[in-house]
Amino acid sequence: MRHIISILVDNEFGVLSRVAGMFTARGYNIESLTVAPTDDPSLSRITLVTIGDDNRIEQIIKQLNKLLDVVKVMDMTDGPHIEREMMLIKVQAVGGEARDEIKRLTDIFRGRVLDVTDKIFTIEMTGTSEKLDAFLVAIGRGSILEVVRSGVIGIARGEKHLRV
Amino acid sequence: MRGADMIVQVLADEGVDTVFGYSGGAILPTYDAIFSFNEQRAKSPGEQIKLIVPANEQGAGFMAAGYARASGKVGVFMVTSGPGATNTVTAIRDCMADSIPVVLITGQVATGAMGTDAFQEAPIVNIMGSCAKHVFLVTRPEELEATIRTAFEVARSGRPGPVVVDLPKDVQNWVGEYMGSGLLDIRGYRQRMESLRSAKLSDRKCKQFFEMLRKASRPIIYAGGGVVSGEASEELRSFARTFNIPVVSTLMGLGGMDTTDDLYMGMLGMHGAAHANYAVEDCDFVIAVGARFDDRVAAKAEFFAPNAEHVAHIDIDAAEIGKVKLVEWAHVGEAGKSLQQLTAWGSENGFEKDYSPWLAHCAKLKEQHAMNYDRNSDLIQPHYVIEALNKLTQGRAIISTGVGQHQMWAAQYFDFREPRLWLTSGSMGTMGFGLPAAIGAAFACPDKMVIDVDGDGSIRMNLGEMETVTTYGLPVKVLLLNNHGDGMVRQWQKLYFENRFSGSDKSLHRKDFVKAAQSDGFEFAVRVSDKTELEKVLKDFVEFQGPAFLEVEIDPEAGVYPMVGPGMSYKQMVTGEFIKSREAVGSQKGVLETSDAF
Repeated sequence: MRHIISILVDNEFGVLSRVAGMFTARGYNIESLTVAPTDDPSLSRITLVTIGDDNRIEQIIKQLNKLLDVVKVMDMTDGPHIEREMMLIKVQAVGGEARDEIKRLTDIFRGRVLDVTDKIFTIEMTGTSEKLDAFLVAIGRGSILEVVRSGVIGIARGEKHLRV
Repeated sequence: MRGADMIVQVLADEGVDTVFGYSGGAILPTYDAIFSFNEQRAKSPGEQIKLIVPANEQGAGFMAAGYARASGKVGVFMVTSGPGATNTVTAIRDCMADSIPVVLITGQVATGAMGTDAFQEAPIVNIMGSCAKHVFLVTRPEELEATIRTAFEVARSGRPGPVVVDLPKDVQNWVGEYMGSGLLDIRGYRQRMESLRSAKLSDRKCKQFFEMLRKASRPIIYAGGGVVSGEASEELRSFARTFNIPVVSTLMGLGGMDTTDDLYMGMLGMHGAAHANYAVEDCDFVIAVGARFDDRVAAKAEFFAPNAEHVAHIDIDAAEIGKVKLVEWAHVGEAGKSLQQLTAWGSENGFEKDYSPWLAHCAKLKEQHAMNYDRNSDLIQPHYVIEALNKLTQGRAIISTGVGQHQMWAAQYFDFREPRLWLTSGSMGTMGFGLPAAIGAAFACPDKMVIDVDGDGSIRMNLGEMETVTTYGLPVKVLLLNNHGDGMVRQWQKLYFENRFSGSDKSLHRKDFVKAAQSDGFEFAVRVSDKTELEKVLKDFVEFQGPAFLEVEIDPEAGVYPMVGPGMSYKQMVTGEFIKSREAVGSQKGVLETSDAF
């Protein structure tokens, strides 16, 4: 099963490589990874998407908890949560009909066109990874020039929060 | 104060009396600081920090490890950047795999030169990051002092392990104020350690445990290295005796339970005693303490203790719970404290159960399936050497080993009355461990006899350290069991590769080990190839004051039995010709089925 794991880490030298290194050494996969400092500049938050059965996820969390710089670990997928990913996408948009169609699709998916030339649209789209995938399918492989995705971030619903 | 002097001062504050290491460019300031530190204490040598120089940095690593294993204190070693540091990678990984607390200080090129492919530069943080419990790189000199202090805290707390501190040369040369206290803020780790230390077994958990014990009629304690590293030996013995539960030990756990105790059933696992493995096979309740169901014990977790209704697991590392074997009852905490609480709870609540039929069964197993070998052979059997030596040392000497057949024979035939007498590279299986580990132990425990039992393959790996023994005039005894080959590899090649001895035949090797020992200054350097001489020479060897080297030409075809093949269950254990097996196992000859587990 796909899990979103959030990790608060000390904002220290080498911490990302330690976390990533643990995954490599133990043969766990990382589907996506995002990291940035939090409101507390001494802390960074890593959000990591991985796939595995319950035993594997339990091991991943336990092994993460052994790393010195790791302050807190939470499996978002344990409870109700909100996940978001951002995508920037450059598509070929030549000819009135095609341009209209892309604009319509972007609106349907609640994206925004950020930049336009006479041949190209650059679109911003935010949502679950699934929604972003669906948009890519809707646009069609043929007209996609470039895709950049941020990786998933997540936060728990309700009053549960991850803080030191 | 110079950064280098601060490092030495923190070492002194931490109670370090010995540093093992090899100097070089990037660590020169700190070596100089040790020199000055000792010079200032010329009148009180007891306060000095001994600096012990090996032949190779890997040797320094295993010396520090031997020191830590024998004493329970943090072992310290210090090397230069680049090759000095990379030579210690094996030792660091070995300490990680066996949970041994050491601190390694590596010199690094100056911060400005880092990343420029400078002379003797290596990315130690990256390399060691994958092997050590933690690596610190000090780039802010004002954090130097606190970092060294924190390294000791991390090495010894929780599940112990190796910590590396990478120190750029400019940080060592920096001048600042020595604070004398202060640690790095490692809040997450420290919080987890705090909750480990305060972890208490709840009344409910104790009750559950004793309900399982009450239902059981054949309980067994499976004691691992955590009993030794957690200083839980007394608590284990008291728990076992209070409730009359037999104990099997892992390779790393040897000495946790007195091996001469009636309740002791022997070492279990791939080369465990037949009676130990049968007891595990027969038991109906496994109580695992500081053990991790590793593949040399439980090749296939589902076949391990197949008749056990319940498994209970106590470990300091939460990640070990459920990693290999799913258990019904688990507690994450210190082994000693946990056992003490269970003993107290059981006694207070009047727990009593008569396990005498089970104990009688175990006694019978020990009698019927006793360890044995070819006692009538004209060739010297390695087991005979260990047995004879054990009669002289009585389970009181520190024994270190290399890796291979001799290691297993030593584990099987020596007694260990106390913990920290058995120094072996268990998890990593590093050949060449024995000699430097013995040197480290000799510094840690000058009042104990230290014997390195080695093989001809293993001792070659760090043979340079023979000279270190004589340089420091250490009363280390080296017993070399020479079978002119890599015996364990040959044993597997016989079993699984139809006698194709690829790379394991050493019959063309010419080394005269006795001459080598003599050239390194061993005054006692003797070879025995006649069985009738052995007992007398062993006595001389043990009684000799000072470095002693004894080579024994053993039967090159001697094998290690029992053996549970990789990926197999204890039911399929091969006991060999001289140990009685419980039932005729499948084919004992020819190529056995092997699994993909190895």
